Amino acid sequence: MTAQATEHLLLQMQGIGKEFPGVKALEGVHLSVRAGQVHALLGENGAGKSTLIKILSGAYTRDEGEILFEGQPVDIRTPADAERLGISTIYQEFNLTQHMTIAENIFLGHLPKKAGRVDWSTVRRRSRELLDSLDVGLDVDMLTGSLTVAQQQMVEIAKALNRNTRVLIMDEPSAVLGERDIERLFDVVRRLQASGIGIVYISHRLKEIFELADEVTVLKDGRYVDTRRVADVTMDDLVRLMVGRDLVDVFPKRRTKPGEVVLEVSGLAQPKLARDVSFSVRSGEIVSLAGITGSGRTEVARVIFGADKATSGQMRLGGQPYRPRSPRDAINHGVALVNEDRKKEGLLLKLQVFFNITVSGLDRLARYRVLRLKDEKSLVAKWIESLRIKTPGQNFMVVNMSGGNQQKVVLARWLSLGIKVFIMDEPTRGIDVGSKAEIYQIMSDLAEQGVAIIMISSELPEVLGMSDRVIVMREGRTVKEINRAEATEELVMQYAVGHEEAVAG
Amino acid sequence: MSSAQSATVRTRPAFVSTLLASPIFGPAAALVLVSVFFAITAPRFLSPGTFSLILQQVMVVGVMAIGQTLIIVTTGIDLSCGMLMGLSGLLMAGFAVRGGLNPWLAMLLGIGVAVLFGFLNGALVTGVGLPAFIVTLGTMNIAWALKRIYSTSTITLTDEQAPLLFLGTPIKVGGTELPPPGILLLLILYVVAWFMMKYTAAGRSVYAVGDNIEAARLAGINTKRVLLAVYTVAGMAYGIAALLQIARTGVGDPNAGESSNGNMDAITAAVIGGTSLFGGRGSMAGTLIGVMIVGILRAGLQLMGIPTTYQVLVTGVLVIAAVSVDQLTHRK
Repeated sequence: MTAQATEHLLLQMQGIGKEFPGVKALEGVHLSVRAGQVHALLGENGAGKSTLIKILSGAYTRDEGEILFEGQPVDIRTPADAERLGISTIYQEFNLTQHMTIAENIFLGHLPKKAGRVDWSTVRRRSRELLDSLDVGLDVDMLTGSLTVAQQQMVEIAKALNRNTRVLIMDEPSAVLGERDIERLFDVVRRLQASGIGIVYISHRLKEIFELADEVTVLKDGRYVDTRRVADVTMDDLVRLMVGRDLVDVFPKRRTKPGEVVLEVSGLAQPKLARDVSFSVRSGEIVSLAGITGSGRTEVARVIFGADKATSGQMRLGGQPYRPRSPRDAINHGVALVNEDRKKEGLLLKLQVFFNITVSGLDRLARYRVLRLKDEKSLVAKWIESLRIKTPGQNFMVVNMSGGNQQKVVLARWLSLGIKVFIMDEPTRGIDVGSKAEIYQIMSDLAEQGVAIIMISSELPEVLGMSDRVIVMREGRTVKEINRAEATEELVMQYAVGHEEAVAG
Repeated sequence: MSSAQSATVRTRPAFVSTLLASPIFGPAAALVLVSVFFAITAPRFLSPGTFSLILQQVMVVGVMAIGQTLIIVTTGIDLSCGMLMGLSGLLMAGFAVRGGLNPWLAMLLGIGVAVLFGFLNGALVTGVGLPAFIVTLGTMNIAWALKRIYSTSTITLTDEQAPLLFLGTPIKVGGTELPPPGILLLLILYVVAWFMMKYTAAGRSVYAVGDNIEAARLAGINTKRVLLAVYTVAGMAYGIAALLQIARTGVGDPNAGESSNGNMDAITAAVIGGTSLFGGRGSMAGTLIGVMIVGILRAGLQLMGIPTTYQVLVTGVLVIAAVSVDQLTHRK
C-alpha cells in the first residue's frame, strides 16, 4: 500500500508545536494528507484541532516542526502563503459578504480584469460552472445573505475550488446542517475527493467519520495520539483514543450526602439550541451537564439564570414555580451563573477588583441608598483573603490579573451574596493547574454547605472527578443520566457523540 | 547617573505615586499649564474680575457637561445637547413673556421639554437599539427646527420674569458686587453628581454599563433602565443649563446653543477631563476641570485679542489631542 500512498502524499506536517503564553497548545503533532482522500481529525474540545488547522491555513505560525508540500519543505506564515499552495479552509463561521451576490463572493479578492475593468461576464460564467460542478442549481446573481446555511456552505466550497484548491480543510461542516443537507454535503465531499483534492475533515460525530473518511488522526490535550486507517478501527477504539488519559487526583472528596431537590427543570426549550431538557439538582450536590460544544448546555444555563427566555418547559425552585424575568430576578432567587466567557460576559475588565466583587450586591452595602464604602472595603478584603485572590490592591484593574485570579473575583461576587444554586459554565477554562485545584476545593466546600451546583464542563476528567451525577446532553436534549459510580469517560463520550445505539446493539 | 535616577524613583513618596496614578492628574496638570501660560502672556488675566467672568462664561456649558459625561461614560454621545438647551431656554422665555405664564411654571415647562427629549433619546437608544450618535443627530435637528418654528426673533425678559433672571444677576452686597448665584448652582450640581457617581449603586451601574453592557446585565444590573435614566437626567441637566443661559443673557434666543461653544464644548470638556469615549471611565471632577480648561482657554485668547474663530480652532485641536491621549492609553 505504502508505495502508492506516498506517491499521492500532498501534505505532511511533522512534529508541529505551538505555544501560547502559558499554554502549550500543540506538541509533536503529525498529519498527512493524501490526494483524493478524506482525512478525519478527531479530538475532544481543546485537543488542539483548531490550532492545527489554523497553522495550516496561515492564521497562526508554528513554533516547532516541519511542513512538507509534495515533499518540499514550505513555510506558511500568512493566509496568502497557504492560498499560494492551494490550501483552503472552510470554517464554521463562513467568510461570505452577505450583501454581495454569489458570483461576487466566489471571486472576492480575485476579480479578473479586462482593459482595466472587472470582467463580469467571466465572473458569472465561471461561477455558474463551479456551482454546476457541485450540482448546485443556484442563480449566481442571488445575494448571499438570502441563502440557507447549507447553500452558503456550497458557495464557500465553490470559492475554494475557484482558487485551485488542492487541500481543503473543513471545520465541523456538518455541525450547522440538518439531516438531508448532510447527505448533500457528503455527496459533494466525495465528488471533490474523486477530483483528487485532499480533504481534512473535522467532526465530533463518529458515524460520519466511518461513512466518509479514509484515515483518522486523533489528538488529545494538544498531543498526537495516533493515525489509523478507518477500515481498521471500531468506534470503541476511537472513543478510547480520544479520552484515554491519566486522571490526576486533584479532586477533593466530600463527606456530606445530598439533601432535598432544590431545582427541577422539565421539558425546557429555548429558540437556539436547547430543545428538551429535564433534570434536577439537590442541595449539596454537584451535577454535571456533559456534552460536546453546541449541545445546548450553555443555553440551558442562561435560561435558568434569566439571561434568555424559555420557549417551553417548567422550572421549580425549592418546590415553587420558577420563571426568572432577568438575571437580577434570578439573583434575587439565589441563583448565580459563572459564565463560560469570563472576559466578555463575566467581568467588567477595565474596572477594579472591589467594583467587580460588589457590583451585584450593592443594595446590601447601602443605607438610605448611600453606599458605605468602609463596609465595602472590609467585605472585599475578607473575600480577597478567603479565596486567596492575588492582587496588589482592591483598586487593581481586573484586566491585568491572571485567569485564575479573575475567576476567583467572579466567584467572590456570587459567594458574597449567599447563593443557593450555582451554575458554573466551564469554571476552569484557561486557568492554571494550581488555581484549578483551588476552584475545585471552593466548589466542594460550597456543596458541603448545601449549595446546589450545576457544572458545565467539556473536560471529562473534571466531570468525573467532581460530579455526583452526570447528565449527558446531545443536540439540545438530555439523553442520559449517569451516577458517579457508573460514570466513565468512555460511557459519557459515547452518549455525547451519539454512539450508544451501537453499544446497545 | 541612571542608578541615581532610579533611586529617586524608588524613594518617591506614596502620595506622589497616588497622585500620578489618579485619572484626573493629566487634566489638572493641563489646567495649571494653561493658567500659567495666560498669566504670563495675557494682560489683565490675573485681575480679580477675570476669574468670576470665566466662571460665568462656563456655567452653561458646565451644567451641560454633567449630562454629557454621564452619556459618554455609557459609551454614548449626545450631539443634541446644545440644541436641547437652546430650545428649552427659548420656550421658557416664550411661555413667560408671550404666553404670560407664571415664570416659575414657564421654568418647569421649559426644563420639562428638555427632560422629555432626553427621555426620547434614551428610549430610542434602549428600545429600538439605535446608536446614540444617530439618535441624537436626529433630535439635534428636530430641536433646531422646533426652535425656529416657535420663534425666529429673540424674546427679551423683563423684571416681571425675575425668577428666570435671578441666577444670572450679580448680587450687590453693600458696595461690592458678588458673582451671580448661578455659579453656586453649578458647583452644587457638580458636588451632587460627584456624590451620586461615587456613593450610590446607581452611579456604579453607569460605570458598569459603560465598561461592558452584557457583563453588567449578567451581573444583575437593569441596563435598559440605567441607560434610560442617564439620558433623561442628561436632558434635565440641559434644561437647567437653559435656565442659566437665559438668566445670564436676559433673552430667549433662537440661536442659542448653535455656536461651537454652545453645542460641542460640553463634549470637549468631558473628553478633556478624562472621560473615555470607550466608556466606563470618567469623573465629574475631571469634567469640571475640563470645563475650566475650555473656559480659561477662551477667555485667555480673548484677552490676548485673538478672534473667536481662532478660539474655535484651538478647542478643535484640543479635542483631537485629548481623544488621541485617550486612544493611546486605552490601547495600552
